[in-house]
Amino acid sequence: MAPSASTQQILLSPAELSYLHTSLSLHPPIRPDGRSATDFRPLHAETELLPGTYGSARICFADGTEAVVGVKAEVEKSVPSYVGHGEGGGGDEEKGRNEWVEIGVEIPGMRDDDSMPVFLAAMLSESLLADGAFTARLWINSRFHWKLYLDILLLSQPLSYPLPLLSLTTHLALLSTRLPKLKSEQDEDPLFDDDWDASVHLYPAGSAKPSVTLLVMAVKDNIIFDPSKEELSVAEVVLAVSIASDSASAASGGMEVDSGAGRQLTLLAVRTIDPPSRLTHPGVPNSLNTATGGTAAASLEQENSKREGLHEEGVWQPPRGGAKRKLIAGMIAKVLEKGGVGEEVLDGLDAVELG
Amino acid sequence: MPLDTSTYSLALLRLDGRRWNELRRLNAQISTQAAADGSSYLEMGNTKVICTVTGPAELKSTGGARAGGDKADVRVEISIAGFSGVDRKKRGRNDKRVSEMQTTISNAFAQSLFTNLYPHSSISLSLHILSQDGSLLAACLNACTLALIDAGVPMRDYICACTAGSTSSYSSNDEQADPLLDLNGIEEQELPFLTVGTLGNSDKVSVLVMETRVQVGRLEGMLAVGVDGCKQVREILDQVVRKRGVKILEGSQL
Repeated sequence: MAPSASTQQILLSPAELSYLHTSLSLHPPIRPDGRSATDFRPLHAETELLPGTYGSARICFADGTEAVVGVKAEVEKSVPSYVGHGEGGGGDEEKGRNEWVEIGVEIPGMRDDDSMPVFLAAMLSESLLADGAFTARLWINSRFHWKLYLDILLLSQPLSYPLPLLSLTTHLALLSTRLPKLKSEQDEDPLFDDDWDASVHLYPAGSAKPSVTLLVMAVKDNIIFDPSKEELSVAEVVLAVSIASDSASAASGGMEVDSGAGRQLTLLAVRTIDPPSRLTHPGVPNSLNTATGGTAAASLEQENSKREGLHEEGVWQPPRGGAKRKLIAGMIAKVLEKGGVGEEVLDGLDAVELG
Repeated sequence: MPLDTSTYSLALLRLDGRRWNELRRLNAQISTQAAADGSSYLEMGNTKVICTVTGPAELKSTGGARAGGDKADVRVEISIAGFSGVDRKKRGRNDKRVSEMQTTISNAFAQSLFTNLYPHSSISLSLHILSQDGSLLAACLNACTLALIDAGVPMRDYICACTAGSTSSYSSNDEQADPLLDLNGIEEQELPFLTVGTLGNSDKVSVLVMETRVQVGRLEGMLAVGVDGCKQVREILDQVVRKRGVKILEGSQL
């Protein structure tokens, strides 16, 4: 879906692409940086670095990409909703609306109405709002609510697809977000405690955590996590999988043991991303190359139809067609698996000290 | 927002407890981002700026014919984060104030860099303002200097900048007004101020911007204090660069 042609120029020849593709489709796959298929790149994370915001976080990946997220909140008057008011109104209390959260993504060198930032913002908000519990936290009383502005800045050039970086940073920023403590009661005009030390976390410890979006790709039947730019350039399927740990199990898991063994992951959203490998140039097999004794095809259609039939080892062909359902199901299962990558990432994020 | 700055004359202390000639805490790091050719992070009080340099690189010419002149093109892009101020405010790309800052910075560095060494190429500076509390232009200039040093672009000398103001507003027409160094955000809203940038240790002024009204008699004092402040800033920036140099030397011996 994301037209990635302008941002991710692939400077690899068909021969290099083919080499990369072959090594990634081995069992186990050999990745250019020597990681195993489920390894993540190391990252630096810090939170609450900007005193002027309600919550902020910064993450640096080892490849040099860096993102900063700042959260600002405002009290806003709720627009009265007439839907569901007739039935006593008791049922729809503390219910949030999606307009209460505004997400903006800024990528250097791109206008804010370019397709990439808009698409990234849509994907991030989709996964954050998927559970419906997030906006309910912004409810103050029936007349007022918090309006949350999430500004996501990518500070470096987008070297690899920046979605996981932005998602992890947003996750940390939301975890560090604190809102002033409410002093007024019921439906009074809201009055807040002016002591910042008394402020309450938007996500108190032990409650459900905001979602995290991970990038998963597949080459043949190998499922590879956290792909780098080069690896994406030969991917056959790329999925953005949004997960969150279940609130109930997180709370009970915290009570039993602190190992997080009781973590139950829920799937919130899955998006397929058009792999940049589709934009690569195919290699020319010997049978179509006049220099090696083959016969060149007369027209482009003929060439394409001839290529369809060929499956020569070592000749790069951009992937065609969609992904098999079984493969997609396998990719999602691998993220959600007990003791799998999803858990590992969430555990890692839990370890980041807040405040 | 009316602000009472009249208390200054009582103890000669400013709102944040500084004296007239004291800078805020200036903190800087160099080469903070691995992916960029050069990068820096600079804090002047609560103003926080990240600068990254790309280049000198080949000009990406959109029209085929215009392939750049015989000097490198210095391009500056400033993005002010929505969360940087007190209230959340989104600024458009073609905000007048921002584009004027971009031109000011670009002109200043086009003079101080040896741009003639890189014909048909561009040096692009991208500045991210994470938090603003006065002296925005000065912080940007200082951050650019550090990032350009990190990128290894040859330059005549550092461009160091700071602001200077006057203790009473234009309308109060106070004869006793003293000059002030390095104004913070609240003072900037109330008092007349100028931003001055000098080239290295010399008294040569390369940037001078003033947007407020002030009696001409006070200008000389403000400028003198500002130029003096720039020298202090240069000392601090120089230490940051030297510290980085020592670190690189230690690394190379291993």
